[in-house]
Amino acid sequence: MSIRRMGVLLSKEFLYGSRNYILVFSIVGPIIISIIVSLIFGTWLAEKPRLGILDEGKSQLVTMFDDLNSIDNLEYNTISDMKGAVEIGAVDIGIVIPSGFDNSVIQGERTEIKAFIWGESMAKSRTIIGVTIANTVRELTGQKSPIEIETITLGDKASIPWNDRLLPFIVLMTVFLGGLMLPSTSIATEKERRTIRALMVTPTSIEDIFLAKGILGFILSFFMGILILVLNKAFGTEPILLIIVLALGAVMAAELGMLLGVYVKDFATIFTIWKSAGIILFAPAIIYLFPQIPEWIGKIFPTYYVTQPIVELSQKGGGWADIATNTFILIAIDVALIFILLFTLRKKQYTVTGE
Amino acid sequence: MNIHIISILISKDLSLFFRKRAIIILTFIALIFYLVLYFVMPNSVDENLKIGLYSPVSLPVFTQIDEEGLEISPVESEESLKEAVLDGSYVVGISIPADVAEKLSSNQKPTVNLYFTPDAPQEIKDAMEVVVRELAYMQTGQPLAFDVSEEILGQDMTGTLIPPRDRLRPLLAIFIIMMEILGLSNLISEEIERRTAQALLVTPTTVTDIFIAKSISGIGLAFVQAVLIMTIIGGMNRQPLIILVSLLLGAALATGVSFLISARARDFMSVLAWSFPILIILIIPSFTVMFPGAITGWVKVIPSYYLVDTVHRSANFGSGWGDVWVNLLILFGFTAAIFWAGIYILRRKFQ
Repeated sequence: MSIRRMGVLLSKEFLYGSRNYILVFSIVGPIIISIIVSLIFGTWLAEKPRLGILDEGKSQLVTMFDDLNSIDNLEYNTISDMKGAVEIGAVDIGIVIPSGFDNSVIQGERTEIKAFIWGESMAKSRTIIGVTIANTVRELTGQKSPIEIETITLGDKASIPWNDRLLPFIVLMTVFLGGLMLPSTSIATEKERRTIRALMVTPTSIEDIFLAKGILGFILSFFMGILILVLNKAFGTEPILLIIVLALGAVMAAELGMLLGVYVKDFATIFTIWKSAGIILFAPAIIYLFPQIPEWIGKIFPTYYVTQPIVELSQKGGGWADIATNTFILIAIDVALIFILLFTLRKKQYTVTGE
Repeated sequence: MNIHIISILISKDLSLFFRKRAIIILTFIALIFYLVLYFVMPNSVDENLKIGLYSPVSLPVFTQIDEEGLEISPVESEESLKEAVLDGSYVVGISIPADVAEKLSSNQKPTVNLYFTPDAPQEIKDAMEVVVRELAYMQTGQPLAFDVSEEILGQDMTGTLIPPRDRLRPLLAIFIIMMEILGLSNLISEEIERRTAQALLVTPTTVTDIFIAKSISGIGLAFVQAVLIMTIIGGMNRQPLIILVSLLLGAALATGVSFLISARARDFMSVLAWSFPILIILIIPSFTVMFPGAITGWVKVIPSYYLVDTVHRSANFGSGWGDVWVNLLILFGFTAAIFWAGIYILRRKFQ
């Protein structure tokens, strides 16, 4: 193994690898997926009722609705726009506030609000919107609430919103997309183009080639992991520990990528493996999404030992004591993988190089 | 056109596809993954707000209200109420104080406690406060100064809403079909790059034979997988013939797209580079089903919209031929145009 030759190979990877589609995908993909997943799950599972408003006058209700947290509001300029929005489910209910509505209700005159209801809206959404409108109008007319309400949260478990539950999944995907896919596809491409054989006639060893590609995967994986945590404002109170865990996770991803490179001959197989066996990598993050699933199931999967410390540090405010055991297991996995890699490289040298 | 040659070409394509055992096993695992994804999604829609009420005094409005979306159940003690909220039986627990009637009659404000679990979102807490306050207004006989006239747009689905997992059906169908674009494009582009297609043309095989064989292989692979998954997830329980026709048209659309991509792509990398933007565009319409209202009318310019909409309406609402024939006609038109364009461009490449 030669550090200098590895450096030369690594600089070649940086120079020519930037044209690689997977490299670009590993950078752009996680950022887009991070945004999309947050939007999708955040919106889909929140089930916050949506109210469309068409104000024919200048009702104060509109600004009062804006201040509420129990519903989302959207304003429309024409009745056809609002009906269109209701028909496709952009809002659960669309209301038309007639001109002079505020004065009428304040003076106690009967007046009417026209409501268009989306057929597929949930009954509870209709109820929440209905009582919210009623309550807001009562506030407008100066009616005093007959009761005081005290909200009490039971239990001592911390609340975990869906966006936070998804964070481990996004981080894992980011770390493994770059760390695993980049070295493995790069090795497979060299095999397909037989450039790996050309390299083997130089003093370069097979370990040099693999480690150079692994280091590239590690660097990409590590920095993308940090970027995703920054984008999600999830650095917690122990950023140094978090960076160390991310680095260990990136090492695991790069090692698995190099191992995949040993066995896989072409790009198509790697892609198929990613498409399907990815569930093994992401299982701990998926389990984290559903707190009903016992945590011990996650421990079966090696990526649990990356996920748990990240969750502990970024979301639960944990420290070294909370992650020490799992971090040591992660280090052990990383060390074991490097030995397995070196062993298989020697054993499978013929398969890899064709020499 | 020679049927014998075509059948040989099909068996060659299929054997190439199935030669790699790893790919077969992993494709199978991918199908399992889609199924797992489907089955872990909620299979019902919780349409009602389940509310637990502990009230030592009788409050008729709270206990007898007949409002859709509200499901108020009386609980015997405050402790039982807290336990029921913690175990998830209720979204909120309302605890009414024993002196509520006296305080209300003497114009004092009694304090009502609302119990929530730690993971209750803030909007639910706010919404429940609004609901309880409105019930209190009603209990104290304070009328509203306005009326509401309601009009339901579309079919009123109250009580029969589609569960999230069933909203995934069109996405899964289109995902499986469109992912085959990658495999088929790769298969064809390899033949072009390795010049095996040109080699075939010096035999009695004609370009037409090659295209028919490729079309059957491509459509068959995508169609069989999609039908298999749709059958398992119950997508064929209603209007199976319409679903079959739409999946077949979808598979043909994917094959046509594969022809177009393979005419441009040189290797698997460029197949990926061309396929991903196209895949993303083709998958976008399925979001109209998963997130109603998220995408507006422009989505109808994407051919796969007509596949998604047909599968959604037929599998989830039982829509018949009369409801979806326009969709199928447009999908057929798009498929025919893309298929023809794919064959035209690829034929030029072969020659």
